[in-house]
Amino acid sequence: MSWIQHNWALLLPLVLGACGVWLMMPGAKSIRPLGGLACLGALILGFQLVAGERNISGSMFVLFSTACLVSAVLMITSRNPVYAALWFAVVTLSVCGLFLLQSAPFLAAASIIVYAGAVIVTFLFVIMLAQQSGTSSYDQSSRQPFCASVTAFTLLGLLLITFQSWSHQQVRSANHDKQSAAAMAALDMTVAAPTDHFHRSSRPLPTEELGQLRGLGRSLFTDFLFAVEIGGTLLLIASIGAIALAPRRAQGTL
Amino acid sequence: MNGSIQPTLLVSAALFALGAIGFLTRRNLILMILSAEMMLHGVALSMVTFSKYHGNNEGQVFTIFILTVAACEAGLALALILSLYHRTKSLDMDLWSALREDDMPSPVDHDSTAGHALPNTHPVQPTLTPAGIPLDPKTPLNPQRLTREEDATHV
Repeated sequence: MSWIQHNWALLLPLVLGACGVWLMMPGAKSIRPLGGLACLGALILGFQLVAGERNISGSMFVLFSTACLVSAVLMITSRNPVYAALWFAVVTLSVCGLFLLQSAPFLAAASIIVYAGAVIVTFLFVIMLAQQSGTSSYDQSSRQPFCASVTAFTLLGLLLITFQSWSHQQVRSANHDKQSAAAMAALDMTVAAPTDHFHRSSRPLPTEELGQLRGLGRSLFTDFLFAVEIGGTLLLIASIGAIALAPRRAQGTL
Repeated sequence: MNGSIQPTLLVSAALFALGAIGFLTRRNLILMILSAEMMLHGVALSMVTFSKYHGNNEGQVFTIFILTVAACEAGLALALILSLYHRTKSLDMDLWSALREDDMPSPVDHDSTAGHALPNTHPVQPTLTPAGIPLDPKTPLNPQRLTREEDATHV
């Protein structure tokens, strides 16, 4: 019980979020405005958990993560699959914004090209081919929404508790460190001391920034060369499998 | 920053959980696959965050591999969805609930559905033998085939 009293700031947004998502799920028991209000409250309370920085990057983070989470909730609760695919595009765009804030510009561009450019368009094609009559009865109900919300938010709570204890450990080990400069660097969470259990060429050179295309390519084609080859083989096998699985024209394509 | 959670990790964990809810509850095949892609987004975001935390490019390289696997998954999933749609003329996942094990209850939530009277248009699906139930050694594994052989011997 004392644990609950100690951690209510973590538990309250989780419970609110679970109730909100459960109320917004399609089905007979859904009350969408109330669920939306609960989700918004959970979002605002959840932002109290993280250390807010009052600068441009902090406000950009709040903007992108709010857009990301709100459109994620709207995607999994929307009654129309076309709207769900469009909300997924918004999720992708805001995740790419978060990638940019985490100094990964190449990944942001690649994700926009792959997801928003290719995946969403093909999914929309399939939706429009298969569901010409708009909404259908199976989009108006959902399977066990209460159990699924409770399960997923329990998982989220366990992840957050793990992250929290992990950052507590970081702070404690940094305090134990005699060298105060290294401790400050570890607290700042941007610069870490080079350790031996990383590959050497994955570390950016002193002249490079993190996530620059040059360093990324060097890491990709020296340390992870076999993984790149396996990834290429996987793409080839997946394309062969997709051609083999898709219905033939003789059977009637759709 | 005193012992507080890294904010991007919180967003990535929340994305993963929301994608899990979507995958578990939605009945549309395409929305299930889209929710799985959203879970992949969450994992990629945490990978990029760890990459920045360690000042190392490895997390971003892993995210490139996540993108590759997600592209493969989307292609295969769409081919599968098309062939399933070809059989049932519907994107409803619950039409395939006959593939579950015999001792499991039906996943369909009948009381919460308003207009749930979809015709079951697909032919008889193969059923799985229930796992964990020891077979009686006297009963044959495939009774239909054995009876046919008995018939053949009788003739």
